[in-house]
Amino acid sequence: MHERLSFYVKRESALHQLNPLTKLTLVFGLILPAFLVPFYWTPHLLLLLVVFPLAFLGKVQGEYFTAVTKLILPAAGFLFVMQALFIPGGETVLAKLWFLTLTQESLMYAFANAVRIFVMVSSFTLFMLTTHPSELMSDLTQRGLPGQFAYVIIATLQIIPQMQAKASTIIAAQRSRGLDTESSFARRVQALVPLVGPLVFGSLVEVEERAIAIEARGFTSRRPKTSLREIYDRPLDKGLRWLLILIMLASLVSRIWFS
Amino acid sequence: MNIQIENLSFRYPNGVLALRRVSLEIAPGEQVAVIGQNGAGKTTLVKHLNGLLLPTEGRVRIGDWDTRHYSVAKLARRVGYVFQNPDEQLFTKTVAEEIAFGPRNLGYPGERIQELVEDALQLTQLQAMRNTNPYDLSPTWRKMVAIASILAMDTPILVFDEPTTGQDAASVTRLAMIIAELKRRGKTVITITHDIDFCAENFARVIVMGGGQVLLDGPARTVLGKAEILAQTYVDPPQITRLGLRLGLAEVVCTPQEFLDAFEKQCAA
Ligand SMILES: Nc1ncnc2c1ncn2[C@@H]1O[C@H](COP(=O)(O)OP(=O)(O)OP(=O)(O)O)[C@@H](O)[C@H]1O
Ligand SMILES: [Mg+2]
Repeated sequence: MHERLSFYVKRESALHQLNPLTKLTLVFGLILPAFLVPFYWTPHLLLLLVVFPLAFLGKVQGEYFTAVTKLILPAAGFLFVMQALFIPGGETVLAKLWFLTLTQESLMYAFANAVRIFVMVSSFTLFMLTTHPSELMSDLTQRGLPGQFAYVIIATLQIIPQMQAKASTIIAAQRSRGLDTESSFARRVQALVPLVGPLVFGSLVEVEERAIAIEARGFTSRRPKTSLREIYDRPLDKGLRWLLILIMLASLVSRIWFS
Repeated sequence: MNIQIENLSFRYPNGVLALRRVSLEIAPGEQVAVIGQNGAGKTTLVKHLNGLLLPTEGRVRIGDWDTRHYSVAKLARRVGYVFQNPDEQLFTKTVAEEIAFGPRNLGYPGERIQELVEDALQLTQLQAMRNTNPYDLSPTWRKMVAIASILAMDTPILVFDEPTTGQDAASVTRLAMIIAELKRRGKTVITITHDIDFCAENFARVIVMGGGQVLLDGPARTVLGKAEILAQTYVDPPQITRLGLRLGLAEVVCTPQEFLDAFEKQCAA
Protein backbone atom coordinates (compact mmCIF):
# COMPACT_ATOMS: atom_id res chain seq x y z
CA MET A 1 0.00 0.00 0.00
CA HIS A 2 2.83 2.35 0.82
CA GLU A 3 5.10 0.98 -1.84
CA ARG A 4 5.86 3.03 -4.87
CA LEU A 5 3.69 1.91 -7.71
CA SER A 6 5.68 3.64 -10.42
CA PHE A 7 9.08 5.26 -10.85
CA TYR A 8 7.46 8.67 -10.54
CA VAL A 9 9.00 11.05 -8.02
CA LYS A 10 6.78 13.90 -6.96
CA ARG A 11 8.66 17.21 -7.09
CA GLU A 12 8.06 20.76 -8.20
CA SER A 13 10.13 21.38 -11.29
CA ALA A 14 9.98 22.80 -14.77
CA LEU A 15 10.15 19.29 -16.17
CA HIS A 16 7.32 18.05 -13.98
CA GLN A 17 5.14 20.92 -15.16
CA LEU A 18 5.52 20.10 -18.83
CA ASN A 19 2.61 18.42 -20.49
CA PRO A 20 3.12 14.62 -20.61
CA LEU A 21 2.89 14.53 -24.38
CA THR A 22 5.57 17.21 -24.62
CA LYS A 23 7.85 15.07 -22.48
CA LEU A 24 7.10 12.01 -24.56
CA THR A 25 7.95 14.01 -27.69
CA LEU A 26 11.13 15.14 -25.96
CA VAL A 27 12.11 11.50 -25.42
CA PHE A 28 11.90 10.83 -29.13
CA GLY A 29 13.37 14.24 -29.90
CA LEU A 30 16.50 12.99 -28.11
CA ILE A 31 16.56 9.43 -29.36
CA LEU A 32 16.11 10.13 -33.08
CA PRO A 33 19.00 12.63 -33.42
CA ALA A 34 21.23 10.40 -31.29
CA PHE A 35 20.70 7.55 -33.72
CA LEU A 36 20.30 9.38 -37.01
CA VAL A 37 22.54 12.43 -37.22
CA PRO A 38 25.71 11.35 -39.06
CA PHE A 39 28.01 13.68 -37.06
CA TYR A 40 30.01 11.31 -34.85
CA TRP A 41 29.82 13.19 -31.55
CA THR A 42 26.03 13.83 -31.62
CA PRO A 43 25.00 11.27 -28.97
CA HIS A 44 27.90 12.26 -26.69
CA LEU A 45 27.04 15.94 -26.91
CA LEU A 46 23.33 15.25 -26.39
CA LEU A 47 24.13 13.28 -23.28
CA LEU A 48 26.41 15.89 -21.74
CA LEU A 49 24.63 19.03 -22.85
CA VAL A 50 20.98 17.98 -22.78
CA VAL A 51 20.27 14.78 -20.86
CA PHE A 52 22.39 15.49 -17.76
CA PRO A 53 21.18 19.10 -17.41
CA LEU A 54 17.59 17.86 -17.83
CA ALA A 55 18.04 15.60 -14.82
CA PHE A 56 18.95 18.65 -12.76
CA LEU A 57 16.18 20.74 -14.31
CA GLY A 58 13.72 18.05 -13.26
CA LYS A 59 15.27 17.92 -9.76
CA VAL A 60 15.58 14.15 -10.05
CA GLN A 61 19.37 14.03 -10.43
CA GLY A 62 19.73 11.81 -7.31
CA GLU A 63 17.32 9.17 -8.59
CA TYR A 64 18.59 9.48 -12.14
CA PHE A 65 22.26 9.00 -11.33
CA THR A 66 21.39 6.05 -9.11
CA ALA A 67 19.68 4.49 -12.12
CA VAL A 68 22.73 5.36 -14.21
CA THR A 69 25.21 3.62 -11.95
CA LYS A 70 23.03 0.63 -11.17
CA LEU A 71 21.49 -0.05 -14.54
CA ILE A 72 22.35 2.15 -17.48
CA LEU A 73 26.13 2.28 -17.15
CA PRO A 74 26.56 -1.50 -16.69
CA ALA A 75 24.25 -2.21 -19.65
CA ALA A 76 25.91 0.32 -21.92
CA GLY A 77 29.36 -0.85 -20.76
CA PHE A 78 28.53 -4.44 -21.59
CA LEU A 79 27.30 -3.44 -25.01
CA PHE A 80 30.46 -1.42 -25.57
CA VAL A 81 32.78 -4.32 -24.74
CA MET A 82 30.86 -6.80 -26.85
CA GLN A 83 30.69 -4.57 -29.88
CA ALA A 84 34.28 -3.39 -29.63
CA LEU A 85 35.51 -6.97 -29.58
CA PHE A 86 33.16 -8.67 -31.98
CA ILE A 87 32.41 -6.19 -34.73
CA PRO A 88 34.63 -7.16 -37.62
CA GLY A 89 36.39 -4.69 -39.92
CA GLY A 90 38.64 -1.71 -39.38
CA GLU A 91 42.21 -1.12 -40.48
CA THR A 92 44.01 0.29 -37.49
CA VAL A 93 44.67 -2.71 -35.29
CA LEU A 94 45.22 -1.74 -31.68
CA ALA A 95 45.50 -5.12 -30.03
CA LYS A 96 45.21 -8.79 -30.84
CA LEU A 97 43.94 -11.33 -28.39
CA TRP A 98 43.74 -14.88 -29.62
CA PHE A 99 41.03 -14.74 -32.28
CA LEU A 100 39.80 -11.29 -31.26
CA THR A 101 41.13 -8.14 -32.86
CA LEU A 102 40.54 -4.72 -31.46
CA THR A 103 40.58 -2.02 -34.10
CA GLN A 104 40.27 1.68 -33.67
CA GLU A 105 37.25 1.72 -35.97
CA SER A 106 35.29 -0.88 -34.05
CA LEU A 107 36.23 0.87 -30.82
CA MET A 108 34.86 4.17 -32.06
CA TYR A 109 31.78 2.53 -33.44
CA ALA A 110 31.08 0.68 -30.20
CA PHE A 111 31.61 3.83 -28.17
CA ALA A 112 29.05 5.80 -30.15
CA ASN A 113 26.56 2.95 -30.02
CA ALA A 114 26.90 2.54 -26.28
CA VAL A 115 26.31 6.25 -25.80
CA ARG A 116 23.26 6.07 -28.07
CA ILE A 117 21.76 3.38 -25.86
CA PHE A 118 22.74 5.48 -22.86
CA VAL A 119 20.83 8.44 -24.26
CA MET A 120 17.81 6.32 -25.10
CA VAL A 121 17.47 4.63 -21.74
CA SER A 122 18.24 7.90 -19.95
CA SER A 123 15.50 9.80 -21.75
CA PHE A 124 12.95 7.16 -20.85
CA THR A 125 14.17 7.10 -17.28
CA LEU A 126 13.86 10.87 -16.94
CA PHE A 127 10.44 10.69 -18.52
CA MET A 128 9.21 8.08 -16.06
CA LEU A 129 10.78 9.85 -13.09
CA THR A 130 8.99 13.11 -13.83
CA THR A 131 5.65 11.95 -15.27
CA HIS A 132 2.90 10.36 -13.25
CA PRO A 133 1.58 7.44 -15.32
CA SER A 134 -2.04 8.46 -14.74
CA GLU A 135 -1.27 11.93 -15.96
CA LEU A 136 0.18 10.61 -19.18
CA MET A 137 -2.80 8.36 -19.71
CA SER A 138 -5.46 10.97 -18.97
CA ASP A 139 -3.69 13.28 -21.36
CA LEU A 140 -3.41 10.72 -24.14
CA THR A 141 -6.99 9.47 -23.78
CA GLN A 142 -8.25 13.03 -23.81
CA ARG A 143 -6.40 13.44 -27.07
CA GLY A 144 -8.31 10.49 -28.46
CA LEU A 145 -6.16 7.47 -27.67
CA PRO A 146 -8.44 4.42 -27.15
CA GLY A 147 -8.67 3.35 -23.51
CA GLN A 148 -7.41 -0.16 -24.28
CA PHE A 149 -4.14 1.24 -25.59
CA ALA A 150 -3.80 3.54 -22.64
CA TYR A 151 -4.32 0.59 -20.34
CA VAL A 152 -1.67 -1.50 -22.02
CA ILE A 153 0.86 1.33 -21.87
CA ILE A 154 0.20 2.20 -18.25
CA ALA A 155 0.25 -1.45 -17.21
CA THR A 156 3.63 -1.84 -18.88
CA LEU A 157 5.04 1.26 -17.24
CA GLN A 158 3.90 0.10 -13.82
CA ILE A 159 4.66 -3.56 -13.98
CA ILE A 160 8.28 -3.43 -12.87
CA PRO A 161 7.82 -1.36 -9.72
CA GLN A 162 4.67 -3.33 -8.88
CA MET A 163 6.45 -6.64 -9.27
CA GLN A 164 9.32 -5.33 -7.16
CA ALA A 165 7.00 -4.27 -4.38
CA LYS A 166 5.17 -7.57 -4.51
CA ALA A 167 8.37 -9.58 -4.58
CA SER A 168 9.73 -7.86 -1.51
CA THR A 169 6.52 -8.55 0.44
CA ILE A 170 6.64 -12.19 -0.61
CA ILE A 171 10.25 -12.49 0.48
CA ALA A 172 9.35 -10.97 3.83
CA ALA A 173 6.38 -13.31 4.24
CA GLN A 174 8.38 -16.45 3.45
CA ARG A 175 11.34 -15.48 5.60
CA SER A 176 8.84 -15.03 8.41
CA ARG A 177 7.96 -18.68 7.87
CA GLY A 178 11.55 -19.64 8.44
CA LEU A 179 12.66 -19.72 4.80
CA ASP A 180 16.40 -19.28 4.65
CA THR A 181 17.22 -16.93 1.80
CA GLU A 182 20.54 -15.73 3.09
CA SER A 183 22.97 -18.59 3.63
CA SER A 184 24.40 -20.98 1.05
CA PHE A 185 23.85 -20.86 -2.70
CA ALA A 186 22.03 -24.21 -2.71
CA ARG A 187 19.63 -22.85 -0.10
CA ARG A 188 18.93 -19.83 -2.19
CA VAL A 189 18.12 -21.90 -5.23
CA GLN A 190 15.76 -24.03 -3.16
CA ALA A 191 14.14 -20.86 -1.90
CA LEU A 192 13.09 -19.85 -5.41
CA VAL A 193 9.93 -21.93 -5.61
CA PRO A 194 8.21 -20.40 -2.57
CA LEU A 195 9.16 -16.97 -3.85
CA VAL A 196 8.25 -17.27 -7.51
CA GLY A 197 5.06 -19.28 -6.85
CA PRO A 198 3.09 -16.54 -5.10
CA LEU A 199 4.43 -13.96 -7.53
CA VAL A 200 2.97 -15.81 -10.50
CA PHE A 201 -0.26 -17.09 -8.89
CA GLY A 202 -0.84 -13.79 -7.17
CA SER A 203 -0.42 -11.90 -10.42
CA LEU A 204 -2.91 -14.18 -12.15
CA VAL A 205 -5.47 -13.67 -9.42
CA GLU A 206 -4.82 -9.95 -9.67
CA VAL A 207 -5.42 -9.86 -13.42
CA GLU A 208 -8.93 -11.14 -12.91
CA GLU A 209 -9.64 -8.70 -10.08
CA ARG A 210 -8.28 -5.88 -12.15
CA ALA A 211 -10.44 -6.77 -15.13
CA ILE A 212 -13.53 -6.76 -12.94
CA ALA A 213 -12.51 -3.51 -11.27
CA ILE A 214 -11.96 -1.57 -14.48
CA GLU A 215 -15.13 -3.00 -15.97
CA ALA A 216 -17.06 -1.85 -12.90
CA ARG A 217 -15.72 1.64 -13.49
CA GLY A 218 -17.16 1.81 -16.96
CA PHE A 219 -13.97 1.04 -18.85
CA THR A 220 -15.79 -0.04 -22.00
CA SER A 221 -18.41 2.69 -21.83
CA ARG A 222 -18.39 4.75 -25.01
CA ARG A 223 -19.42 8.04 -23.45
CA PRO A 224 -16.84 10.79 -22.93
CA LYS A 225 -15.09 10.47 -19.61
CA THR A 226 -14.05 13.11 -17.15
CA SER A 227 -10.78 13.02 -15.28
CA LEU A 228 -9.83 13.80 -11.72
CA ARG A 229 -6.52 15.21 -12.86
CA GLU A 230 -6.32 18.52 -14.59
CA ILE A 231 -3.63 18.47 -17.20
CA TYR A 232 -2.16 21.65 -18.51
CA ASP A 233 -1.09 22.19 -22.06
CA ARG A 234 0.49 25.61 -22.21
CA PRO A 235 1.51 27.50 -25.34
CA LEU A 236 5.08 26.73 -24.29
CA ASP A 237 4.26 23.02 -24.60
CA LYS A 238 2.84 23.42 -28.06
CA GLY A 239 5.87 25.45 -29.15
CA LEU A 240 8.28 22.91 -27.71
CA ARG A 241 6.55 20.06 -29.45
CA TRP A 242 6.77 21.78 -32.82
CA LEU A 243 10.41 22.53 -32.23
CA LEU A 244 11.06 18.90 -31.32
CA ILE A 245 9.24 17.65 -34.37
CA LEU A 246 11.39 19.94 -36.50
CA ILE A 247 14.50 18.55 -34.84
CA MET A 248 13.38 15.01 -35.53
CA LEU A 249 12.65 15.82 -39.16
CA ALA A 250 16.00 17.58 -39.50
CA SER A 251 17.88 14.59 -38.16
CA LEU A 252 16.03 12.32 -40.56
CA VAL A 253 16.86 14.63 -43.46
CA SER A 254 20.50 14.90 -42.43
CA ARG A 255 20.70 11.14 -42.39
CA ILE A 256 19.33 10.78 -45.91
CA TRP A 257 21.29 13.75 -47.25
CA PHE A 258 24.73 12.80 -46.06
CA SER A 259 24.71 9.09 -46.74
CA MET B 1 8.77 -15.65 26.28
CA ASN B 2 8.63 -11.95 26.98
CA ILE B 3 9.03 -9.08 24.58
CA GLN B 4 10.98 -6.00 25.46
CA ILE B 5 10.96 -2.89 23.35
CA GLU B 6 13.19 -0.09 24.57
CA ASN B 7 13.14 3.41 23.13
CA LEU B 8 12.45 2.14 19.66
CA SER B 9 12.58 4.68 16.86
CA PHE B 10 12.35 3.77 13.20
CA ARG B 11 12.86 5.79 10.08
CA TYR B 12 12.05 4.43 6.61
CA PRO B 13 14.69 4.97 3.90
CA ASN B 14 12.46 7.65 2.35
CA GLY B 15 12.74 9.70 5.53
CA VAL B 16 9.37 8.98 7.17
CA LEU B 17 9.84 8.68 10.92
CA ALA B 18 7.29 5.94 11.59
CA LEU B 19 8.07 5.19 15.24
CA ARG B 20 9.20 7.64 17.91
CA ARG B 21 10.72 6.32 21.10
CA VAL B 22 8.33 3.47 21.73
CA SER B 23 8.87 1.45 24.87
CA LEU B 24 6.77 -1.59 25.68
CA GLU B 25 6.94 -4.78 27.62
CA ILE B 26 4.75 -7.74 26.80
CA ALA B 27 4.69 -10.66 29.21
CA PRO B 28 4.42 -14.30 28.13
CA GLY B 29 0.85 -15.37 27.42
CA GLU B 30 -0.60 -11.88 27.05
CA GLN B 31 -3.30 -11.12 24.48
CA VAL B 32 -2.66 -7.67 23.08
CA ALA B 33 -4.57 -5.65 20.50
CA VAL B 34 -2.88 -2.77 18.70
CA ILE B 35 -5.22 -0.10 17.34
CA GLY B 36 -4.91 3.38 15.86
CA GLN B 37 -5.53 5.34 12.67
CA ASN B 38 -4.02 4.48 9.29
CA GLY B 39 -0.33 5.27 9.19
CA ALA B 40 -0.05 5.30 12.99
CA GLY B 41 2.89 2.91 12.81
CA LYS B 42 1.21 -0.34 13.90
CA THR B 43 2.58 -2.50 11.12
CA THR B 44 5.99 -0.87 11.45
CA LEU B 45 5.99 -1.73 15.15
CA VAL B 46 5.09 -5.39 14.77
CA LYS B 47 7.52 -5.89 11.89
CA HIS B 48 10.22 -5.25 14.47
CA LEU B 49 9.15 -8.28 16.46
CA ASN B 50 10.51 -10.82 13.98
CA GLY B 51 13.32 -8.72 12.58
CA LEU B 52 11.69 -7.76 9.28
CA LEU B 53 12.62 -4.23 10.31
CA LEU B 54 15.54 -3.38 12.55
CA PRO B 55 15.51 -0.41 14.94
CA THR B 56 17.00 2.86 13.72
CA GLU B 57 17.44 3.57 17.40
CA GLY B 58 16.67 1.59 20.51
CA ARG B 59 16.34 -2.13 20.97
CA VAL B 60 13.90 -4.99 20.58
CA ARG B 61 14.38 -8.19 22.51
CA ILE B 62 12.46 -11.44 22.12
CA GLY B 63 13.31 -13.45 25.20
CA ASP B 64 17.08 -13.22 25.41
CA TRP B 65 17.52 -12.50 21.68
CA ASP B 66 18.26 -9.00 20.45
CA THR B 67 16.60 -8.88 17.00
CA ARG B 68 19.64 -7.15 15.52
CA HIS B 69 21.73 -10.28 15.99
CA TYR B 70 19.32 -12.85 14.53
CA SER B 71 18.03 -13.36 11.00
CA VAL B 72 14.31 -13.34 10.24
CA ALA B 73 14.47 -17.06 9.50
CA LYS B 74 15.97 -17.65 12.97
CA LEU B 75 13.49 -15.40 14.72
CA ALA B 76 10.70 -17.39 13.02
CA ARG B 77 11.26 -19.98 15.75
CA ARG B 78 10.02 -17.53 18.33
CA VAL B 79 7.65 -15.23 16.49
CA GLY B 80 5.04 -16.29 13.94
CA TYR B 81 3.83 -13.44 11.76
CA VAL B 82 0.64 -13.63 9.70
CA PHE B 83 0.73 -11.15 6.83
CA GLN B 84 -2.34 -9.27 5.74
CA ASN B 85 -2.59 -10.74 2.26
CA PRO B 86 -2.52 -14.56 2.12
CA ASP B 87 -1.83 -14.49 -1.63
CA GLU B 88 1.65 -13.23 -0.89
CA GLN B 89 2.71 -16.53 0.62
CA LEU B 90 0.68 -19.41 -0.79
CA PHE B 91 2.56 -21.52 -3.31
CA THR B 92 1.95 -25.25 -2.84
CA LYS B 93 -0.58 -27.54 -4.47
CA THR B 94 -2.44 -28.52 -1.33
CA VAL B 95 -3.48 -26.88 1.90
CA ALA B 96 -1.70 -29.50 4.00
CA GLU B 97 1.63 -28.98 2.19
CA GLU B 98 1.31 -25.25 2.59
CA ILE B 99 0.86 -25.65 6.34
CA ALA B 100 3.81 -28.03 6.58
CA PHE B 101 6.19 -25.54 4.92
CA GLY B 102 6.87 -23.46 8.05
CA PRO B 103 7.51 -26.30 10.52
CA ARG B 104 9.69 -28.03 7.91
CA ASN B 105 11.81 -24.89 7.58
CA LEU B 106 12.21 -24.85 11.33
CA GLY B 107 13.61 -28.36 11.12
CA TYR B 108 11.06 -30.18 13.29
CA PRO B 109 11.11 -33.98 13.01
CA GLY B 110 8.64 -35.55 10.55
CA GLU B 111 6.26 -36.90 13.15
CA ARG B 112 6.05 -33.59 14.95
CA ILE B 113 5.31 -31.85 11.64
CA GLN B 114 2.41 -34.25 11.06
CA GLU B 115 0.99 -33.48 14.49
CA LEU B 116 1.38 -29.75 14.07
CA VAL B 117 -0.29 -29.79 10.66
CA GLU B 118 -3.23 -31.82 12.01
CA ASP B 119 -3.59 -29.48 14.93
CA ALA B 120 -3.49 -26.37 12.74
CA LEU B 121 -6.03 -27.88 10.32
CA GLN B 122 -8.34 -28.60 13.19
CA LEU B 123 -7.95 -25.17 14.82
CA THR B 124 -8.78 -23.39 11.58
CA GLN B 125 -11.51 -25.92 10.61
CA LEU B 126 -9.73 -26.71 7.39
CA GLN B 127 -9.70 -30.51 7.73
CA ALA B 128 -12.10 -31.12 4.87
CA MET B 129 -10.00 -28.94 2.58
CA ARG B 130 -6.62 -30.46 3.35
CA ASN B 131 -6.04 -31.72 -0.19
CA THR B 132 -7.53 -28.74 -1.97
CA ASN B 133 -5.36 -26.28 -3.86
CA PRO B 134 -5.33 -23.08 -1.76
CA TYR B 135 -6.11 -21.01 -4.85
CA ASP B 136 -9.38 -22.93 -5.30
CA LEU B 137 -10.56 -21.65 -1.92
CA SER B 138 -12.41 -18.40 -1.28
CA PRO B 139 -10.35 -15.47 0.04
CA THR B 140 -11.69 -16.01 3.56
CA TRP B 141 -10.52 -19.60 3.58
CA ARG B 142 -7.20 -18.67 1.95
CA LYS B 143 -6.70 -16.39 4.93
CA MET B 144 -7.34 -19.38 7.22
CA VAL B 145 -4.70 -21.36 5.33
CA ALA B 146 -2.22 -18.54 5.89
CA ILE B 147 -3.09 -18.47 9.59
CA ALA B 148 -2.84 -22.25 9.86
CA SER B 149 0.55 -22.19 8.19
CA ILE B 150 1.83 -19.93 10.97
CA LEU B 151 0.01 -21.74 13.80
CA ALA B 152 1.77 -24.94 12.75
CA MET B 153 5.15 -23.35 13.47
CA ASP B 154 4.21 -23.58 17.14
CA THR B 155 5.94 -20.35 18.13
CA PRO B 156 5.48 -18.92 21.62
CA ILE B 157 4.56 -15.55 20.10
CA LEU B 158 2.07 -14.88 17.30
CA VAL B 159 1.51 -11.64 15.42
CA PHE B 160 -1.56 -11.01 13.26
CA ASP B 161 -1.72 -7.95 11.01
CA GLU B 162 -5.38 -7.04 10.50
CA PRO B 163 -6.72 -10.60 10.48
CA THR B 164 -10.38 -9.51 10.42
CA THR B 165 -10.19 -7.12 7.47
CA GLY B 166 -12.36 -8.40 4.64
CA GLN B 167 -13.52 -11.45 6.58
CA ASP B 168 -17.14 -12.55 6.98
CA ALA B 169 -18.83 -13.02 10.35
CA ALA B 170 -18.20 -16.77 10.41
CA SER B 171 -14.51 -16.20 9.79
CA VAL B 172 -14.27 -13.54 12.51
CA THR B 173 -15.91 -15.93 14.98
CA ARG B 174 -13.43 -18.62 13.96
CA LEU B 175 -10.58 -16.19 14.55
CA ALA B 176 -11.91 -15.35 18.00
CA MET B 177 -11.97 -19.06 18.82
CA ILE B 178 -8.41 -19.50 17.60
CA ILE B 179 -7.22 -16.62 19.74
CA ALA B 180 -9.04 -18.00 22.78
CA GLU B 181 -7.40 -21.39 22.23
CA LEU B 182 -3.97 -19.78 21.85
CA LYS B 183 -4.56 -17.98 25.12
CA ARG B 184 -5.47 -21.28 26.78
CA ARG B 185 -2.17 -22.70 25.54
CA GLY B 186 -0.25 -19.81 27.04
CA LYS B 187 0.85 -18.20 23.77
CA THR B 188 1.44 -14.49 23.39
CA VAL B 189 -0.87 -13.01 20.76
CA ILE B 190 -0.41 -9.55 19.28
CA THR B 191 -3.09 -8.45 16.85
CA ILE B 192 -3.44 -5.28 14.83
CA THR B 193 -7.07 -4.52 14.15
CA HIS B 194 -9.39 -1.79 12.97
CA ASP B 195 -12.40 -3.76 14.25
CA ILE B 196 -12.98 -2.19 17.61
CA ASP B 197 -15.65 -4.71 18.68
CA PHE B 198 -13.30 -7.57 17.87
CA CYS B 199 -10.66 -5.80 19.91
CA ALA B 200 -12.96 -5.22 22.89
CA GLU B 201 -14.28 -8.77 22.96
CA ASN B 202 -11.05 -10.71 22.59
CA PHE B 203 -8.17 -8.81 24.14
CA ALA B 204 -7.36 -8.08 27.74
CA ARG B 205 -4.77 -5.44 26.88
CA VAL B 206 -5.02 -2.70 24.27
CA ILE B 207 -2.25 -0.52 22.87
CA VAL B 208 -3.38 2.62 21.08
CA MET B 209 -0.98 4.17 18.59
CA GLY B 210 -0.99 7.55 16.88
CA GLY B 211 1.73 9.41 15.00
CA GLY B 212 4.34 6.74 15.68
CA GLN B 213 3.85 6.83 19.42
CA VAL B 214 1.99 4.80 22.00
CA LEU B 215 -0.89 7.01 23.15
CA LEU B 216 -2.49 4.55 25.54
CA ASP B 217 -1.56 1.15 26.89
CA GLY B 218 -3.46 -0.82 29.48
CA PRO B 219 -6.40 -3.08 30.24
CA ALA B 220 -9.09 -2.88 27.53
CA ARG B 221 -11.61 -1.48 29.94
CA THR B 222 -9.42 1.43 31.00
CA VAL B 223 -8.20 2.23 27.51
CA LEU B 224 -11.51 2.00 25.64
CA GLY B 225 -13.17 4.34 28.13
CA LYS B 226 -10.84 7.23 27.22
CA ALA B 227 -12.86 8.58 24.36
CA GLU B 228 -10.97 11.88 24.04
CA ILE B 229 -7.53 10.35 23.63
CA LEU B 230 -8.92 7.68 21.29
CA ALA B 231 -10.42 10.46 19.18
CA GLN B 232 -6.90 11.84 18.61
CA THR B 233 -6.13 8.77 16.56
CA TYR B 234 -9.64 8.57 15.05
CA VAL B 235 -10.81 5.58 17.05
CA ASP B 236 -14.36 5.40 18.42
CA PRO B 237 -14.90 3.25 21.51
CA PRO B 238 -17.16 0.24 20.82
CA GLN B 239 -20.87 1.08 20.59
CA ILE B 240 -21.66 -0.84 23.74
CA THR B 241 -18.96 1.09 25.63
CA ARG B 242 -20.34 4.39 24.39
CA LEU B 243 -23.84 3.36 25.42
CA GLY B 244 -22.54 2.49 28.87
CA LEU B 245 -20.76 5.84 29.14
CA ARG B 246 -23.91 7.69 28.04
CA LEU B 247 -26.01 5.87 30.61
CA GLY B 248 -23.46 6.78 33.24
CA LEU B 249 -22.70 3.21 34.29
CA ALA B 250 -20.27 2.99 37.18
CA GLU B 251 -17.70 0.98 35.21
CA VAL B 252 -16.54 1.02 31.59
CA VAL B 253 -17.95 -1.98 29.71
CA CYS B 254 -16.50 -3.64 26.60
CA THR B 255 -18.90 -6.44 25.74
CA PRO B 256 -22.68 -6.86 25.74
CA GLN B 257 -22.43 -9.28 28.66
CA GLU B 258 -20.45 -6.80 30.73
CA PHE B 259 -23.01 -4.16 29.85
CA LEU B 260 -25.90 -6.31 31.03
CA ASP B 261 -24.14 -7.14 34.29
CA ALA B 262 -23.27 -3.52 35.00
CA PHE B 263 -26.75 -2.38 34.01
CA GLU B 264 -28.43 -4.87 36.34
CA LYS B 265 -26.16 -3.82 39.17
CA GLN B 266 -27.05 -0.19 38.52
CA CYS B 267 -30.79 -0.93 38.48
CA ALA B 268 -30.59 -2.98 41.66
CA ALA B 269 -28.77 -0.20 43.47
N1 LIG C 1 7.85 0.75 3.05
C1 LIG C 1 7.65 2.02 3.47
N2 LIG C 1 8.43 3.02 3.02
C2 LIG C 1 8.24 4.27 3.43
N3 LIG C 1 7.31 4.66 4.31
C3 LIG C 1 6.50 3.72 4.82
C4 LIG C 1 6.62 2.35 4.42
N4 LIG C 1 5.68 1.64 5.07
C5 LIG C 1 5.01 2.53 5.84
N5 LIG C 1 5.49 3.77 5.69
C6 LIG C 1 5.02 5.00 6.40
O1 LIG C 1 5.21 4.81 7.78
C7 LIG C 1 4.09 5.27 8.53
C8 LIG C 1 3.52 4.15 9.36
O2 LIG C 1 3.01 3.14 8.52
P1 LIG C 1 2.42 1.77 9.04
O3 LIG C 1 2.23 0.89 7.85
O4 LIG C 1 3.22 1.25 10.15
O5 LIG C 1 1.00 2.23 9.57
P2 LIG C 1 -0.21 1.34 10.14
O6 LIG C 1 -0.51 1.87 11.49
O7 LIG C 1 0.09 -0.10 10.00
O8 LIG C 1 -1.38 1.78 9.16
P3 LIG C 1 -2.58 0.91 8.51
O9 LIG C 1 -3.67 0.89 9.53
O10 LIG C 1 -2.96 1.72 7.31
O11 LIG C 1 -2.04 -0.43 8.16
C9 LIG C 1 3.12 5.84 7.50
O12 LIG C 1 3.33 7.22 7.45
C10 LIG C 1 3.53 5.19 6.22
O13 LIG C 1 3.25 6.03 5.13
MG1 LIG D 1 -0.72 -1.69 8.76
